[in-house]
Amino acid sequence: MQLLAPTRAEEAIAALLDGPEGRVAVLAGGTDLLLDLDEGKSSPEVLLSLHRLPWRELTWEAERLEIGATLPLAQLEQDPELARRIPGLHEAVGAIGGVALRHQATLGGNLVRASPVSDLIPILLALECEVGLLGSGGERSLPLEQFLLGPRRTALQRGELVRRVWVPALPSAFRWQRVRPANDVSQISVAVAFAPKEERWRIATAGVAPLARRAKAAEAILRGPSPGEEAIAAAGASAAEEAEVRQDRRATDAYRRHLLRTLVLRAIRAVATGVGGQPA
Amino acid sequence: MTPSLHLLVNGVRREGAVPPTERLLDTLRWRLNLRGTKEGCRSGACGACTVLIDGRPRLSCLTLSHQVGEAPILTVEGLESDPVGRAVLETFVAEAALQCGYCTPGFVVALTGLLKEHPGATETTLLEGLQGNLCRCTGYSSIRRAVTRLSEPKR
Ligand SMILES: Cc1cc2nc3c(=O)[nH]c(=O)nc-3n(C[C@H](O)[C@H](O)[C@H](O)COP(=O)(O)OP(=O)(O)OC[C@H]3O[C@@H](n4cnc5c(N)ncnc54)[C@H](O)[C@@H]3O)c2cc1C
Ligand code: FES
Ligand code: FES
Repeated sequence: MQLLAPTRAEEAIAALLDGPEGRVAVLAGGTDLLLDLDEGKSSPEVLLSLHRLPWRELTWEAERLEIGATLPLAQLEQDPELARRIPGLHEAVGAIGGVALRHQATLGGNLVRASPVSDLIPILLALECEVGLLGSGGERSLPLEQFLLGPRRTALQRGELVRRVWVPALPSAFRWQRVRPANDVSQISVAVAFAPKEERWRIATAGVAPLARRAKAAEAILRGPSPGEEAIAAAGASAAEEAEVRQDRRATDAYRRHLLRTLVLRAIRAVATGVGGQPA
Repeated sequence: MTPSLHLLVNGVRREGAVPPTERLLDTLRWRLNLRGTKEGCRSGACGACTVLIDGRPRLSCLTLSHQVGEAPILTVEGLESDPVGRAVLETFVAEAALQCGYCTPGFVVALTGLLKEHPGATETTLLEGLQGNLCRCTGYSSIRRAVTRLSEPKR
Protein backbone atom coordinates (compact mmCIF):
# COMPACT_ATOMS: atom_id res chain seq x y z
CA MET A 1 0.00 0.00 0.00
CA GLN A 2 1.17 3.47 -0.87
CA LEU A 3 0.60 6.62 1.20
CA LEU A 4 0.03 9.98 -0.46
CA ALA A 5 -0.14 13.18 1.56
CA PRO A 6 -0.68 16.08 -0.83
CA THR A 7 -0.43 19.67 0.36
CA ARG A 8 -2.75 21.10 -2.30
CA ALA A 9 -6.42 20.32 -2.92
CA GLU A 10 -5.92 19.91 -6.70
CA GLU A 11 -3.35 17.17 -6.12
CA ALA A 12 -5.70 15.38 -3.75
CA ILE A 13 -8.58 15.46 -6.25
CA ALA A 14 -6.30 14.32 -9.08
CA ALA A 15 -5.08 11.39 -6.97
CA LEU A 16 -8.68 10.37 -6.29
CA LEU A 17 -9.43 10.20 -10.00
CA ASP A 18 -6.27 8.28 -10.86
CA GLY A 19 -6.97 4.63 -11.68
CA PRO A 20 -10.07 2.48 -11.19
CA GLU A 21 -12.70 3.15 -8.53
CA GLY A 22 -11.83 1.72 -5.13
CA ARG A 23 -8.08 2.03 -5.67
CA VAL A 24 -7.75 5.03 -3.37
CA ALA A 25 -9.06 5.34 0.19
CA VAL A 26 -9.25 8.73 1.85
CA LEU A 27 -7.64 8.96 5.28
CA ALA A 28 -8.45 11.76 7.71
CA GLY A 29 -8.12 10.99 11.44
CA GLY A 30 -8.16 7.28 10.68
CA THR A 31 -10.32 6.36 13.67
CA ASP A 32 -12.76 4.49 11.43
CA LEU A 33 -10.66 3.74 8.37
CA LEU A 34 -7.64 2.15 10.09
CA LEU A 35 -9.98 -0.24 11.92
CA ASP A 36 -11.53 -1.18 8.55
CA LEU A 37 -8.07 -1.87 7.15
CA ASP A 38 -7.22 -4.05 10.17
CA GLU A 39 -10.40 -6.02 9.74
CA GLY A 40 -9.81 -6.44 6.02
CA LYS A 41 -13.02 -4.55 5.20
CA SER A 42 -11.10 -2.25 2.92
CA SER A 43 -7.93 -3.00 0.94
CA PRO A 44 -7.07 0.00 -1.20
CA GLU A 45 -3.82 0.34 -3.13
CA VAL A 46 -3.37 3.95 -2.11
CA LEU A 47 -4.13 5.78 1.11
CA LEU A 48 -4.73 9.45 0.43
CA SER A 49 -4.06 11.24 3.70
CA LEU A 50 -5.59 14.69 4.09
CA HIS A 51 -3.41 15.70 7.05
CA ARG A 52 -1.22 18.12 5.13
CA LEU A 53 -4.08 20.02 3.48
CA PRO A 54 -4.87 23.41 5.07
CA TRP A 55 -8.46 22.37 5.78
CA ARG A 56 -8.70 23.08 9.49
CA GLU A 57 -10.69 26.31 9.45
CA LEU A 58 -12.82 27.34 12.38
CA THR A 59 -14.43 30.59 11.27
CA TRP A 60 -17.37 32.37 12.90
CA GLU A 61 -19.55 34.18 10.41
CA ALA A 62 -22.51 36.39 11.39
CA GLU A 63 -24.93 33.54 11.97
CA ARG A 64 -22.99 30.37 11.39
CA LEU A 65 -19.72 28.55 11.94
CA GLU A 66 -17.55 27.23 9.13
CA ILE A 67 -15.65 24.09 10.07
CA GLY A 68 -12.88 22.70 7.85
CA ALA A 69 -13.31 18.98 7.13
CA THR A 70 -10.03 17.92 8.76
CA LEU A 71 -10.20 19.98 11.95
CA PRO A 72 -9.72 17.55 14.85
CA LEU A 73 -12.86 17.45 17.01
CA ALA A 74 -10.88 18.45 20.12
CA GLN A 75 -10.02 21.80 18.54
CA LEU A 76 -13.67 22.40 17.74
CA GLU A 77 -14.60 21.53 21.32
CA GLN A 78 -12.02 23.98 22.71
CA ASP A 79 -13.30 26.95 20.72
CA PRO A 80 -14.17 29.57 23.35
CA GLU A 81 -17.42 30.62 21.60
CA LEU A 82 -18.85 27.20 20.79
CA ALA A 83 -20.60 26.37 24.08
CA ARG A 84 -22.42 29.72 24.06
CA ARG A 85 -23.29 30.02 20.38
CA ILE A 86 -24.02 26.40 19.43
CA PRO A 87 -24.43 24.60 22.77
CA GLY A 88 -25.81 21.41 21.22
CA LEU A 89 -22.76 20.98 18.99
CA HIS A 90 -20.43 21.55 21.95
CA GLU A 91 -22.26 18.87 23.93
CA ALA A 92 -22.24 16.41 21.02
CA VAL A 93 -18.53 16.82 20.26
CA GLY A 94 -17.69 16.28 23.93
CA ALA A 95 -19.62 13.00 23.84
CA ILE A 96 -17.37 11.44 21.17
CA GLY A 97 -14.85 8.81 22.31
CA GLY A 98 -12.23 10.09 24.76
CA VAL A 99 -9.93 13.13 24.67
CA ALA A 100 -7.14 11.41 22.72
CA LEU A 101 -9.62 10.10 20.14
CA ARG A 102 -11.05 13.60 19.72
CA HIS A 103 -7.56 14.92 19.00
CA GLN A 104 -7.55 12.85 15.82
CA ALA A 105 -11.14 12.19 14.71
CA THR A 106 -12.58 14.77 12.31
CA LEU A 107 -16.05 16.04 11.44
CA GLY A 108 -15.56 15.20 7.74
CA GLY A 109 -14.74 11.58 8.61
CA ASN A 110 -17.76 11.26 10.87
CA LEU A 111 -20.13 12.52 8.17
CA VAL A 112 -18.70 10.39 5.37
CA ARG A 113 -18.81 7.34 7.61
CA ALA A 114 -22.56 8.02 7.99
CA SER A 115 -22.87 5.65 10.91
CA PRO A 116 -26.35 4.98 12.35
CA VAL A 117 -24.87 5.61 15.80
CA SER A 118 -22.95 8.81 15.00
CA ASP A 119 -23.31 11.38 17.76
CA LEU A 120 -22.63 14.26 15.39
CA ILE A 121 -25.19 13.54 12.70
CA PRO A 122 -28.30 14.17 14.86
CA ILE A 123 -27.18 17.59 16.05
CA LEU A 124 -26.04 18.60 12.56
CA LEU A 125 -29.40 17.46 11.14
CA ALA A 126 -31.27 19.45 13.78
CA LEU A 127 -29.14 22.52 13.04
CA GLU A 128 -29.69 22.01 9.27
CA CYS A 129 -26.04 22.35 8.38
CA GLU A 130 -24.67 22.49 4.84
CA VAL A 131 -21.83 20.32 3.56
CA GLY A 132 -19.30 21.72 1.06
CA LEU A 133 -18.04 19.11 -1.45
CA LEU A 134 -14.94 19.79 -3.49
CA GLY A 135 -14.35 18.14 -6.86
CA SER A 136 -12.34 18.86 -10.00
CA GLY A 137 -15.05 21.29 -11.16
CA GLY A 138 -15.06 23.33 -7.93
CA GLU A 139 -17.09 23.27 -4.75
CA ARG A 140 -20.82 22.57 -4.39
CA SER A 141 -22.87 22.60 -1.24
CA LEU A 142 -25.69 20.34 -0.09
CA PRO A 143 -27.96 20.31 2.95
CA LEU A 144 -26.81 17.49 5.23
CA GLU A 145 -30.17 15.76 4.86
CA GLN A 146 -29.49 15.39 1.11
CA PHE A 147 -25.84 14.45 1.64
CA LEU A 148 -26.73 11.41 3.77
CA LEU A 149 -28.20 8.62 1.66
CA GLY A 150 -28.03 5.76 4.16
CA PRO A 151 -25.62 3.94 6.46
CA ARG A 152 -22.13 4.45 4.97
CA ARG A 153 -23.73 5.99 1.88
CA THR A 154 -23.43 9.66 0.97
CA ALA A 155 -23.95 11.89 -2.03
CA LEU A 156 -20.15 12.20 -2.50
CA GLN A 157 -19.34 11.48 -6.10
CA ARG A 158 -16.18 9.91 -7.41
CA GLY A 159 -13.37 12.46 -7.23
CA GLU A 160 -15.05 14.51 -4.50
CA LEU A 161 -13.99 15.25 -0.94
CA VAL A 162 -15.85 16.83 1.93
CA ARG A 163 -14.21 20.23 2.18
CA ARG A 164 -16.14 21.94 4.99
CA VAL A 165 -19.36 22.15 6.94
CA TRP A 166 -21.40 25.27 7.74
CA VAL A 167 -23.30 25.08 10.99
CA PRO A 168 -26.00 27.66 11.83
CA ALA A 169 -25.53 29.12 15.32
CA LEU A 170 -28.82 28.29 17.07
CA PRO A 171 -30.05 27.51 20.56
CA SER A 172 -29.65 23.74 20.74
CA ALA A 173 -29.04 20.75 22.99
CA PHE A 174 -27.74 17.19 22.73
CA ARG A 175 -28.64 14.39 25.13
CA TRP A 176 -27.35 10.81 25.04
CA GLN A 177 -27.34 7.60 27.02
CA ARG A 178 -24.67 4.90 27.13
CA VAL A 179 -23.51 2.04 29.28
CA ARG A 180 -20.05 3.64 29.70
CA PRO A 181 -19.47 7.39 29.40
CA ALA A 182 -16.59 7.23 26.93
CA ASN A 183 -15.55 4.99 24.05
CA ASP A 184 -18.91 3.34 23.90
CA VAL A 185 -21.77 3.62 21.46
CA SER A 186 -24.82 5.64 22.50
CA GLN A 187 -27.98 3.57 22.88
CA ILE A 188 -29.94 6.64 21.87
CA SER A 189 -28.93 10.20 21.22
CA VAL A 190 -31.23 13.15 20.68
CA ALA A 191 -30.57 16.61 19.33
CA VAL A 192 -32.91 19.59 19.47
CA ALA A 193 -32.53 23.04 17.92
CA PHE A 194 -34.78 26.08 17.80
CA ALA A 195 -34.70 28.52 14.88
CA PRO A 196 -36.00 31.80 16.38
CA LYS A 197 -36.66 33.60 13.08
CA GLU A 198 -38.89 30.89 11.68
CA GLU A 199 -40.04 29.94 15.21
CA ARG A 200 -39.37 26.32 14.25
CA TRP A 201 -38.27 23.47 16.46
CA ARG A 202 -36.16 20.69 15.00
CA ILE A 203 -35.58 17.31 16.56
CA ALA A 204 -33.26 14.54 15.34
CA THR A 205 -32.49 11.19 16.89
CA ALA A 206 -29.81 8.49 16.41
CA GLY A 207 -29.73 4.89 17.52
CA VAL A 208 -32.80 4.42 15.35
CA ALA A 209 -32.88 2.47 12.09
CA PRO A 210 -31.40 2.81 9.57
CA LEU A 211 -29.74 6.20 10.11
CA ALA A 212 -30.26 9.26 12.31
CA ARG A 213 -33.33 11.16 11.22
CA ARG A 214 -35.56 14.12 11.97
CA ALA A 215 -38.74 13.55 13.99
CA LYS A 216 -40.92 15.84 11.93
CA ALA A 217 -44.31 14.94 13.41
CA ALA A 218 -42.95 15.72 16.87
CA GLU A 219 -41.45 19.01 15.66
CA ALA A 220 -44.83 20.19 14.39
CA ILE A 221 -46.36 19.88 17.86
CA LEU A 222 -44.05 22.53 19.32
CA ARG A 223 -44.84 26.23 18.88
CA GLY A 224 -43.00 29.37 19.93
CA PRO A 225 -39.83 29.71 21.99
CA SER A 226 -41.33 28.32 25.20
CA PRO A 227 -43.79 25.52 24.49
CA GLY A 228 -45.65 24.36 27.58
CA GLU A 229 -45.04 21.08 29.40
CA GLU A 230 -48.08 19.56 27.74
CA ALA A 231 -46.76 20.19 24.23
CA ILE A 232 -43.29 19.01 25.25
CA ALA A 233 -44.73 15.76 26.59
CA ALA A 234 -46.73 15.25 23.41
CA ALA A 235 -43.64 15.88 21.26
CA GLY A 236 -41.66 13.32 23.28
CA ALA A 237 -44.40 10.72 22.89
CA SER A 238 -44.69 11.42 19.19
CA ALA A 239 -40.93 11.14 18.59
CA ALA A 240 -40.85 7.82 20.43
CA GLU A 241 -43.78 6.56 18.43
CA GLU A 242 -42.54 7.52 14.97
CA ALA A 243 -39.02 6.12 15.54
CA GLU A 244 -38.04 2.76 14.13
CA VAL A 245 -35.96 1.66 17.10
CA ARG A 246 -33.48 -1.17 16.92
CA GLN A 247 -32.92 -4.04 19.26
CA ASP A 248 -29.35 -5.24 19.79
CA ARG A 249 -26.94 -6.26 22.54
CA ARG A 250 -26.78 -2.69 23.85
CA ALA A 251 -30.51 -2.23 24.48
CA THR A 252 -33.94 -3.70 23.88
CA ASP A 253 -36.31 -1.84 21.58
CA ALA A 254 -38.62 -1.06 24.51
CA TYR A 255 -35.76 0.51 26.47
CA ARG A 256 -34.65 2.50 23.43
CA ARG A 257 -38.15 3.85 22.93
CA HIS A 258 -38.35 4.83 26.59
CA LEU A 259 -34.96 6.53 26.40
CA LEU A 260 -35.89 8.34 23.25
CA ARG A 261 -38.98 9.88 24.82
CA THR A 262 -37.11 10.89 27.98
CA LEU A 263 -34.16 12.39 26.14
CA VAL A 264 -36.40 14.34 23.75
CA LEU A 265 -38.18 15.91 26.76
CA ARG A 266 -34.89 16.81 28.41
CA ALA A 267 -33.37 18.26 25.27
CA ILE A 268 -36.44 20.41 24.51
CA ARG A 269 -36.54 21.71 28.08
CA ALA A 270 -32.83 22.53 27.93
CA VAL A 271 -33.30 24.56 24.75
CA ALA A 272 -36.51 26.21 25.98
CA THR A 273 -34.90 27.43 29.19
CA GLY A 274 -31.80 28.54 27.31
CA VAL A 275 -33.92 30.47 24.80
CA GLY A 276 -36.10 32.06 27.47
CA GLY A 277 -33.14 33.00 29.59
CA GLN A 278 -30.96 34.76 27.08
CA PRO A 279 -31.61 37.52 24.55
CA ALA A 280 -31.49 36.32 20.93
CA MET B 1 8.18 0.18 -0.50
CA THR B 2 9.44 1.56 2.78
CA PRO B 3 9.77 5.33 2.59
CA SER B 4 12.20 6.95 4.97
CA LEU B 5 10.94 8.81 7.96
CA HIS B 6 12.22 11.30 10.52
CA LEU B 7 10.61 11.43 13.93
CA LEU B 8 11.40 13.59 16.93
CA VAL B 9 10.87 11.29 19.90
CA ASN B 10 11.53 12.49 23.45
CA GLY B 11 13.76 15.24 22.09
CA VAL B 12 15.89 12.89 19.97
CA ARG B 13 15.74 12.86 16.18
CA ARG B 14 15.25 9.31 14.90
CA GLU B 15 15.41 8.22 11.31
CA GLY B 16 14.70 5.05 9.37
CA ALA B 17 12.69 3.28 6.71
CA VAL B 18 9.13 2.63 7.82
CA PRO B 19 6.33 1.03 5.76
CA PRO B 20 3.64 3.57 4.79
CA THR B 21 0.85 2.07 6.88
CA GLU B 22 2.85 1.26 10.00
CA ARG B 23 1.23 2.48 13.23
CA LEU B 24 3.20 4.80 15.47
CA LEU B 25 2.68 2.25 18.27
CA ASP B 26 4.64 -0.37 16.32
CA THR B 27 7.38 2.04 15.22
CA LEU B 28 7.93 3.09 18.83
CA ARG B 29 7.90 -0.40 20.29
CA TRP B 30 9.56 -2.53 17.64
CA ARG B 31 11.85 -0.15 15.75
CA LEU B 32 12.83 2.34 18.44
CA ASN B 33 12.69 -0.16 21.28
CA LEU B 34 10.53 2.14 23.38
CA ARG B 35 8.36 -0.56 24.93
CA GLY B 36 6.79 1.64 27.61
CA THR B 37 3.92 2.51 25.26
CA LYS B 38 1.53 -0.42 25.52
CA GLU B 39 -0.84 -2.12 23.14
CA GLY B 40 -4.15 -2.91 24.81
CA CYS B 41 -6.93 -3.08 22.25
CA ARG B 42 -5.34 -1.72 19.07
CA SER B 43 -8.70 -0.18 18.29
CA GLY B 44 -8.81 3.14 20.11
CA ALA B 45 -10.81 1.93 23.08
CA CYS B 46 -8.38 1.55 26.01
CA GLY B 47 -5.87 4.41 26.00
CA ALA B 48 -2.86 2.18 26.86
CA CYS B 49 -1.04 3.40 23.74
CA THR B 50 -1.47 7.14 24.48
CA VAL B 51 1.48 9.38 23.54
CA LEU B 52 1.71 13.15 23.24
CA ILE B 53 2.10 14.58 19.76
CA ASP B 54 2.69 18.32 19.82
CA GLY B 55 1.77 18.18 23.50
CA ARG B 56 -1.66 16.65 22.83
CA PRO B 57 -2.75 13.15 23.82
CA ARG B 58 -3.12 10.85 20.80
CA LEU B 59 -3.73 7.15 20.28
CA SER B 60 -0.58 5.67 18.75
CA CYS B 61 -2.47 2.53 17.66
CA LEU B 62 -4.64 4.65 15.33
CA THR B 63 -1.90 6.97 14.05
CA LEU B 64 0.33 6.23 11.07
CA SER B 65 3.97 7.06 11.77
CA HIS B 66 4.11 8.90 8.45
CA GLN B 67 1.25 11.19 9.54
CA VAL B 68 3.23 12.67 12.42
CA GLY B 69 5.58 14.82 10.37
CA GLU B 70 7.81 17.23 12.30
CA ALA B 71 5.68 17.29 15.44
CA PRO B 72 7.51 16.32 18.64
CA ILE B 73 6.44 13.02 20.23
CA LEU B 74 6.60 12.45 23.97
CA THR B 75 6.30 8.90 25.29
CA VAL B 76 6.30 7.60 28.84
CA GLU B 77 10.09 7.18 28.58
CA GLY B 78 10.42 10.96 28.14
CA LEU B 79 8.11 12.04 30.95
CA GLU B 80 10.86 12.35 33.56
CA SER B 81 12.54 15.11 31.60
CA ASP B 82 9.31 17.13 31.53
CA PRO B 83 8.38 19.04 34.72
CA VAL B 84 4.66 18.27 34.44
CA GLY B 85 5.39 14.67 33.51
CA ARG B 86 7.70 14.29 36.49
CA ALA B 87 5.04 15.61 38.89
CA VAL B 88 2.54 13.11 37.47
CA LEU B 89 4.99 10.20 37.83
CA GLU B 90 5.86 11.17 41.42
CA THR B 91 2.19 11.42 42.37
CA PHE B 92 1.40 8.01 40.85
CA VAL B 93 4.25 6.51 42.87
CA ALA B 94 3.20 8.32 46.07
CA GLU B 95 -0.38 7.08 45.74
CA ALA B 96 0.66 3.63 44.46
CA ALA B 97 -1.77 4.27 41.63
CA LEU B 98 -1.07 1.01 39.83
CA GLN B 99 -1.23 -2.71 40.23
CA CYS B 100 0.05 -4.65 37.22
CA GLY B 101 1.07 -1.37 35.59
CA TYR B 102 -0.04 -2.19 32.06
CA CYS B 103 -2.39 0.77 31.78
CA THR B 104 -0.07 3.14 33.67
CA PRO B 105 1.97 4.57 30.76
CA GLY B 106 -1.30 5.55 29.08
CA PHE B 107 -2.67 7.16 32.25
CA VAL B 108 0.45 9.16 33.12
CA VAL B 109 0.97 10.35 29.54
CA ALA B 110 -2.70 11.30 29.16
CA LEU B 111 -2.68 13.16 32.49
CA THR B 112 0.49 15.01 31.53
CA GLY B 113 -1.18 16.07 28.29
CA LEU B 114 -4.33 17.21 30.12
CA LEU B 115 -2.36 19.23 32.68
CA LYS B 116 -0.32 20.87 29.93
CA GLU B 117 -3.44 21.75 27.92
CA HIS B 118 -5.40 22.95 30.95
CA PRO B 119 -2.98 24.20 33.61
CA GLY B 120 -4.77 24.30 36.96
CA ALA B 121 -7.49 21.91 35.69
CA THR B 122 -10.13 20.84 38.19
CA GLU B 123 -10.47 17.26 39.35
CA THR B 124 -13.63 16.92 37.23
CA THR B 125 -11.84 18.07 34.08
CA LEU B 126 -9.00 15.63 34.71
CA LEU B 127 -11.32 12.71 35.47
CA GLU B 128 -13.41 13.43 32.38
CA GLY B 129 -10.22 13.66 30.36
CA LEU B 130 -9.23 10.18 31.54
CA GLN B 131 -12.50 8.52 30.52
CA GLY B 132 -10.78 7.02 27.48
CA ASN B 133 -8.21 5.21 29.66
CA LEU B 134 -9.16 1.82 31.05
CA CYS B 135 -7.57 -0.02 33.95
CA ARG B 136 -8.46 -3.63 34.60
CA CYS B 137 -7.00 -3.99 38.09
CA THR B 138 -6.66 -1.02 40.44
CA GLY B 139 -10.38 -0.45 40.85
CA TYR B 140 -9.48 3.17 40.00
CA SER B 141 -9.53 4.49 43.57
CA SER B 142 -5.75 4.92 43.80
CA ILE B 143 -5.73 6.55 40.35
CA ARG B 144 -8.47 8.92 41.54
CA ARG B 145 -6.41 9.82 44.60
CA ALA B 146 -3.47 10.69 42.38
CA VAL B 147 -5.75 12.81 40.20
CA THR B 148 -7.14 14.60 43.25
CA ARG B 149 -3.62 15.47 44.38
CA LEU B 150 -2.61 16.68 40.94
CA SER B 151 -5.65 18.93 40.74
CA GLU B 152 -4.98 20.63 44.09
CA PRO B 153 -3.63 24.14 43.71
CA LYS B 154 0.10 24.26 44.41
CA ARG B 155 1.09 26.41 47.39
C1 LIG C 1 -12.74 4.11 20.40
C2 LIG C 1 -13.67 4.86 19.49
C3 LIG C 1 -14.75 5.56 20.02
C4 LIG C 1 -15.62 6.26 19.19
N1 LIG C 1 -16.67 6.92 19.77
C5 LIG C 1 -17.55 7.59 18.97
C6 LIG C 1 -18.67 8.25 19.54
O1 LIG C 1 -18.84 8.27 20.76
N2 LIG C 1 -19.54 8.86 18.70
C7 LIG C 1 -19.36 8.88 17.36
O2 LIG C 1 -20.15 9.49 16.64
N3 LIG C 1 -18.29 8.29 16.79
C8 LIG C 1 -17.39 7.62 17.57
N4 LIG C 1 -16.33 6.97 16.99
C9 LIG C 1 -16.20 6.97 15.51
C10 LIG C 1 -15.18 7.93 14.91
O3 LIG C 1 -14.25 8.45 15.80
C11 LIG C 1 -15.78 8.98 14.01
O4 LIG C 1 -16.61 8.43 13.04
C12 LIG C 1 -14.73 9.93 13.41
O5 LIG C 1 -15.30 11.21 13.49
C13 LIG C 1 -14.26 9.65 12.00
O6 LIG C 1 -13.35 10.66 11.62
P1 LIG C 1 -11.87 10.33 11.14
O7 LIG C 1 -11.24 11.63 10.76
O8 LIG C 1 -11.15 9.52 12.12
O9 LIG C 1 -12.22 9.48 9.84
P2 LIG C 1 -11.41 8.39 9.01
O10 LIG C 1 -11.37 7.10 9.72
O11 LIG C 1 -10.12 8.95 8.55
O12 LIG C 1 -12.40 8.30 7.77
C14 LIG C 1 -13.73 7.82 7.91
C15 LIG C 1 -14.35 7.66 6.51
O13 LIG C 1 -14.56 8.92 5.90
C16 LIG C 1 -13.79 9.08 4.72
N5 LIG C 1 -13.33 10.46 4.78
C17 LIG C 1 -12.74 11.07 5.85
N6 LIG C 1 -12.59 12.39 5.61
C18 LIG C 1 -13.09 12.63 4.36
C19 LIG C 1 -13.23 13.80 3.55
N7 LIG C 1 -12.84 15.02 4.00
N8 LIG C 1 -13.80 13.67 2.34
C20 LIG C 1 -14.22 12.47 1.89
N9 LIG C 1 -14.11 11.32 2.60
C21 LIG C 1 -13.55 11.40 3.82
C22 LIG C 1 -12.74 8.01 4.78
O14 LIG C 1 -12.36 7.60 3.50
C23 LIG C 1 -13.45 6.92 5.55
O15 LIG C 1 -14.28 6.19 4.70
C24 LIG C 1 -15.43 6.26 17.79
C25 LIG C 1 -14.33 5.58 17.25
C26 LIG C 1 -13.46 4.87 18.08
C27 LIG C 1 -12.30 4.13 17.47
S1 FES D 1 -4.11 0.14 22.16
FE1 FES D 1 -4.56 2.10 21.41
S2 FES D 1 -6.36 2.60 22.48
FE2 FES D 1 -6.03 0.55 23.08
S1 FES E 1 -2.84 -1.42 36.84
FE1 FES E 1 -3.29 -3.24 35.77
S2 FES E 1 -4.49 -2.52 34.13
FE2 FES E 1 -4.27 -0.80 35.35
